[in-house]
Amino acid sequence: MTAAIQYILSGLAIGGIYALVGLGFHIMWSAAKAVNFAHGDTLMLGAVLAVLGVDAGMPLAVACLLAIIAGGIFGVLLERFAVRPFAATATSIGWMLTTIAVGVMIEALATLQFGGFSRPLPSPGVRSAVHIFGAGVYPQELAIPVVAILVMVSLRLMQRHTLIGRAMQAVAHDKRAAALMGINVNRIVAFSYGLASLFGAAAGVLVAPVIQVSASMGALLGLKGFAVAIIGGITSAPGIVIVGLGFGVMEKFVEGYISTASREIIGFAVMILVLLVFPQGLFGKREVLKV
Amino acid sequence: MRYLIPLGFFAFALILAAVPLMAANEYALRLFMLFLIYGMIAVGLNVLVGLTGLVSLGQAGLFALGSYTGAILATRLGFDIVACCIGAAIVSGAFGVLLAYPTMRVKGVYLAVVTIAFGIIVENVAIEWQSLTGGTTGLSSIPRPNVFGIKLSGFAFYGVLAVTLFVFTLLIQNLKISRYGRTMLAVSQSETASRALGINPTGLRMLAFVVASVTAGIAGTFYAFLNSYISPDIFTFSDSVRFLLMVILGGAGSTFGPVIGAYILTYLPEYLQQFQLWQKFAYGALLLLVMFALPRGILGTFRLAFDRLRPADPIPDVAEGLPVETTLRHKKEMWTAELVASALTVRFGGLSALSNVSLRVKGGEIHALIGPNGAGKSTFVNTISGFYRPDEGRCELDGVELTGRRSLEIARLGLARTFQNTELFGELSVLENVMAGYDQRLSYGLLQALLRTPRMRREESECRRAAIGLLGFVGLSQYGNEAARSLPFGLQRRLEIARALAGKPRLLLLDEPAAGLTTQEIDDLEAMIRRIAGLGISVLLVEHHVDLIMALADTVTVLDYGEVIASDNPAAIQNDPRVIEAYFGTSPERAETAA
Repeated sequence: MTAAIQYILSGLAIGGIYALVGLGFHIMWSAAKAVNFAHGDTLMLGAVLAVLGVDAGMPLAVACLLAIIAGGIFGVLLERFAVRPFAATATSIGWMLTTIAVGVMIEALATLQFGGFSRPLPSPGVRSAVHIFGAGVYPQELAIPVVAILVMVSLRLMQRHTLIGRAMQAVAHDKRAAALMGINVNRIVAFSYGLASLFGAAAGVLVAPVIQVSASMGALLGLKGFAVAIIGGITSAPGIVIVGLGFGVMEKFVEGYISTASREIIGFAVMILVLLVFPQGLFGKREVLKV
Repeated sequence: MRYLIPLGFFAFALILAAVPLMAANEYALRLFMLFLIYGMIAVGLNVLVGLTGLVSLGQAGLFALGSYTGAILATRLGFDIVACCIGAAIVSGAFGVLLAYPTMRVKGVYLAVVTIAFGIIVENVAIEWQSLTGGTTGLSSIPRPNVFGIKLSGFAFYGVLAVTLFVFTLLIQNLKISRYGRTMLAVSQSETASRALGINPTGLRMLAFVVASVTAGIAGTFYAFLNSYISPDIFTFSDSVRFLLMVILGGAGSTFGPVIGAYILTYLPEYLQQFQLWQKFAYGALLLLVMFALPRGILGTFRLAFDRLRPADPIPDVAEGLPVETTLRHKKEMWTAELVASALTVRFGGLSALSNVSLRVKGGEIHALIGPNGAGKSTFVNTISGFYRPDEGRCELDGVELTGRRSLEIARLGLARTFQNTELFGELSVLENVMAGYDQRLSYGLLQALLRTPRMRREESECRRAAIGLLGFVGLSQYGNEAARSLPFGLQRRLEIARALAGKPRLLLLDEPAAGLTTQEIDDLEAMIRRIAGLGISVLLVEHHVDLIMALADTVTVLDYGEVIASDNPAAIQNDPRVIEAYFGTSPERAETAA
């Protein structure tokens, strides 16, 4: 029983990270029908910069804030210089490869700066564990899924009630019509990438105290975030959060009862199976083909 | 130009034969053999990337799968290299199908993600399944390569690899210039148009992915024999990126580009090793550089420059073309292709785009469908051609039920269509567009395409001649070699008609063919539609242009707000009060009497 509760609580924590990363893919996809394969590296960038900031003697809060902002700027720049030049081409090869290239370069640079080893980010959230039904968990871990849900809700509120949020939805629906209505589509796409990257970097900062920070931490987290977005349905923000949390919990159970290697095998196999049965994801809407 | 490719193969064979004679030492030869193995992966991946425009980032996973299969078969069961290759091809091909099927129905990006995930699955299975794969320590003591019990010397193994790469390159070149290559390119340009021509996009993408999987699997087996040791950590994500980069750097879609890319990226790491930590960064930077500076790759860029310098290809000879009368005419008893739509209702959310629409296009007639904007004309066209599903009602063509069938099946049943906002295969030539339309009439299969059998050549030449004839029919003879996207709008519309006709349809659906045409072009169009109907092809014409309709149509059906308000001969329609009202509103006098 204790073990099960332990798995659920730590699963929700890592699942919250997948949800945040997945939401980033959702935002980018909605705006541009393209994503950013360096999104996992945005997460890594957030975590690494926060650690480096603390190293440099900044207060923790300032270091985290600056790391998140840097992540957002990275997203905007990436969109402008790696994605937009290839947005008009028929296949997605262009932006996929340029963003992968940037990801490889960022990871190499981070390895050079940060070294090949892993370090945790000190945070008050992991100073002492709390015990719930005998399962030990850090307050930081409890906060992560709450943040993921809050981000999803505020994203929804923003899309419904603010001018820029409505513009984002208009662009997601029909770029050309949005442009004819006077919406600056390029700016909205850039904003979306920035927002997605803010969430990505924030996920990095949030997870940094719990797991070890390293230059290579982003790849797998980013990929699982994408897997979660695919399973949940890339058009559905609530679907992504639900699946993200569920995916995290499932992973912890597999890891606990079988092994770490099986965790990856089963997790990704689930993604492929879901695609087979629900091509649009569990909660996604079918995109109507316009002829 | 025609001699360039055979010359390339000749030079390729010479190089492959000369290298072992010139290799300085065993290490140099080994490195070259590694290049041959990478070349096989790149050549296979080129079918996926260069022809269908999809990306796999899991080739290292398939390569590993082939490696392990080959190694296990060799060490456990003592299979020789041929049997190992066959085993690896079967296993990796099967996994290719398993991976591709769920992804092909959705977005291209998903394939990239699924393939990355597959690479991770393979790696972890290799770690976890210790009894079979040796876990993290891997499999060692893989025997020296042997064929039918005879051990191969280093040079003989080199020969096997060189011949295999040469044959792969040749077979894939054959695939590229067959119906498969043509339709794969078509699918990457416009999936919608492909479906409307009876081309199966899912099937073609699967085929491309399976080709890429099988070649990677076979390459994997060779790698296991070359290295005589394999472990999970030699098949990483960055290898997958490298395989993809080979194709892009060399020139996606070109015959020898992937081989050149594989050569460069086999030798480059040897030089980059001195930069140590910067090696990975350099990789990323190279990828970025290629994407911006050489998006077409080395051979693609070379080809572009070469095309500018050399004289243009001769225009396809009009005399070669088959007259449309022979390629399109149906037998007299087939003339009665009737389209019957009964009580069709289509709703989008709460809006009824079509309610209870019944329509009958009699065999051999020209039937016009008119109505104000938003009347539901395009919805009707999209519904009977299978792009939308009706909520109620049904339609049939000559007694064959169309409702519930996919658009590509409907196209194969003899219903061809054009699109309101032309959907051409922009990068294909004008002639290739029409040949893609002819695809459903070709009957040769994959094996015949790979081997270029006489039957394949005969059918291809017939297809080409029919396409030339059709281009003559629509007046585009002198544009045969131009890229379809470079044609002016009016000519693009004609090309769409030629392409739709190439499948020898029994019913042709024209969705606003006169929109945006000049008066002269509309007169030509009128004559063209008349000739089409004269060949025994029924025509359903969706149009706004009243003069054209009055001149052509045998029957006119008028839609308004998703309902049929009149259906009669043109003269009667012109005087129908409801039709006048739909177009011009109620006259003041009638409005008064009504009040």
